[in-house]
Amino acid sequence: MSVNKYKPHILVLPEDDANRQIANGFILDLNLNSRVIQVLPEAHGWEDVVDKFTNDYASTMRQYPHRMIALLIDFDEDKDRLSYVKEQIPDDLENRVFVLGVLSEPERLRRNINKDFEKIGEALAKDCSDNTNELWGHHLLRHNRTELDRMISSVRPFLFK
Amino acid sequence: MLQRLYIHNFRCLENFELPIKGMSSALLIGKNGAGKSTIASALEVLQSIGRGINRVGQLVQSKDFARGRSDVPIRFEIEVLIEKKLYKYALALELPENFKELRVFEEQLIVAGDIIYSRKEAQVTVYNNSQNREAQFLVDWHLIALPVIQKQSNTDPLHIFKTWLAQMIILAPIPSLMTGDSNGETLEPKREGSNIGEWFSGLLGRYPAAYTQVDQYLREVMPDIKDFLNELIGKDFKSMIVRFEENNANLSVNFKDLSDGEKCFFLCAVVLAANESYGPLFCFWDEPDNYLSLSEVGHFITSLRRSFKNSGQILVTSHHEEGIRKFSNENTFVLDRKSHLEPALIRLLSEMSVQGDLVDALIRGDI
Repeated sequence: MSVNKYKPHILVLPEDDANRQIANGFILDLNLNSRVIQVLPEAHGWEDVVDKFTNDYASTMRQYPHRMIALLIDFDEDKDRLSYVKEQIPDDLENRVFVLGVLSEPERLRRNINKDFEKIGEALAKDCSDNTNELWGHHLLRHNRTELDRMISSVRPFLFK
Repeated sequence: MLQRLYIHNFRCLENFELPIKGMSSALLIGKNGAGKSTIASALEVLQSIGRGINRVGQLVQSKDFARGRSDVPIRFEIEVLIEKKLYKYALALELPENFKELRVFEEQLIVAGDIIYSRKEAQVTVYNNSQNREAQFLVDWHLIALPVIQKQSNTDPLHIFKTWLAQMIILAPIPSLMTGDSNGETLEPKREGSNIGEWFSGLLGRYPAAYTQVDQYLREVMPDIKDFLNELIGKDFKSMIVRFEENNANLSVNFKDLSDGEKCFFLCAVVLAANESYGPLFCFWDEPDNYLSLSEVGHFITSLRRSFKNSGQILVTSHHEEGIRKFSNENTFVLDRKSHLEPALIRLLSEMSVQGDLVDALIRGDI
């Protein structure tokens, strides 16, 4: 069955192909319930992620109160991007939307740790299911801590076994 | 686990090598006619040998020579890691002038560096390394030796390798042929899935715990399923029935009356349970996204990938954008063929330069 929209589930909207592959690796983790997570087609740019979210997904989130969404964007070393993106999220949906991404871009993280995107996703999922902070603690990812903690506390009951 | 597959002079595959070593799951993409399904056909030749078909003419015909080039042998080489031992099997088939049927030119099985047997035309030499003995005999040159050499025991490398080949799962399901009826048991599914009833019976007959795995998967995809039965409806004849339940109401449906997609859910459930029960298995599934709803494709592919992640190996083909998106650049192979007169070429997507989105590039025909 596809994701049950009447039960808690999370959609993942990746900015680009690299983030999509990271998400692919994430859902391969065997401790994760892959039936409650759906990776959406990539949006082709962080601004498009915001546009798609506000134009297409925000209204369906109001329709389905158990729906959550993770926006995977590149921060491109822009310190203001997170606050800008979060400002675009309507107040009533704020607690169900999470904004995550590499401080610069996934390609740099890949070079830095010498792992392909899918393996990066697997390692990030393992950190989440094992409650560790190995890869999430990397200097290109650790800025996600607040958003990640918020997301984990929301999704842990249904996403991880 | 399949380490290497080399095929030469077979249909569109010339000097072709599938570099799948170390990958638990991989995707083949490419235009129609690029050679994806031909890889399945080559694997099916080896699977058939494992299943006991030894007449060369039943495996390969003269039309299978690449561009009719019958002066060069058709060659199959496969390397498989089974319980940490590397099995290398090579088979070359030729069609001498004035022959109507292909014959064996060379054949060899090597296990962990030791030659088990080798063959040149009709002459077969069997080696016994532990006692340094060997035996020589002649085999009809139209017969493959692997299925006819007598196994010594179930731990005989010949038996282990033949079983691995025989248990390879090669699927291109045709749901209309999947009736769920059976008059026997098997662990050897057919490519079109038509013997799913026999396979299901064989799986549950030998591994009763597999029912739980099949049931678990089906409940995820069809939450209203109650159970499924394989009822005896005649002497040695069974028929699968699926029962659904919701709000205290029940409905029994004959397997053959399920939708095409639902039959594929069952097939997927049996694949997953088979890999768990008597794997690790190698599975080739040609377009597993066929017959599935758009919301289901991703979950279906992901279920297969997850099931084979730590045990076994799965290779799939796809033209479906959602199916393609469920793989990544390091496990996606692109097959390309410039024309029907040229051979198939294979490259890993991560080694190619793709402008923009992959699916868009495929739609544009740039890949």
